[in-house]
Amino acid sequence: MDWQLLGLSFITVFLAEIGDKSQLAAIALGSSSKSPRAVFFGSITALILTSFLGVIVGGGAAQILPESLLKTIAAIGFAVMALKILWSRVRNEEE
Amino acid sequence: MTSIEPVKTENSQQKQTANVSQTDLESRIADAAEEAVNKQKWGFWTVFNSTFLTIFVAEMGDKTQIATLLITAQSQSPWVVFAGAAGALITTSLLGVLIGYWMAKRLSPKVLDIAVAVLMLIISGLLIEDVIIGG
Repeated sequence: MDWQLLGLSFITVFLAEIGDKSQLAAIALGSSSKSPRAVFFGSITALILTSFLGVIVGGGAAQILPESLLKTIAAIGFAVMALKILWSRVRNEEE
Repeated sequence: MTSIEPVKTENSQQKQTANVSQTDLESRIADAAEEAVNKQKWGFWTVFNSTFLTIFVAEMGDKTQIATLLITAQSQSPWVVFAGAAGALITTSLLGVLIGYWMAKRLSPKVLDIAVAVLMLIISGLLIEDVIIGG
């Protein structure tokens, strides 16, 4: 076991991810959901799978799944969720 | 005769308070039932799947994945890199979920909703920025 390499990849990924989108998403989903455990497991499964694909498929992943399309879909998804929350809040206050 | 009257009014007053607490109880039960229905609607697997999908789609081709790919290519030992990256991702998500859980306990539902909505809009903005910069 190459501990130096393990440490290097841990620190690189940790620093890249701290305060990044996926962590913000974990904060947002974890606080709005009644089941933070499900958010945690869902989030780590997705992240482990993406890094697994990064290791295995390498550059090929971008050709199978066009990155900008996926990110546009995700951006729309998050915007819709945000508006839904705000909308239900406005409706609650009117009632 | 006159001595009975105050007793009577007291009685009716008691009845009234009993009525009030009963409707209060009923509304509480209704609230609890509604909450239970909501909980059922957002069961473990629903939350798991929606979180998985959103994060998977958002992270695919992101800089972490590229960093993992580059370190792997340089080192030629993919499993060690994978273990390191996976460990880091588990740690950051755990921190994220814990911060969210802590926020949910601390903030009022109204403030929490607004904070979550703003956070999601920020994520959406970051993703759009990635799309524009990335080409």
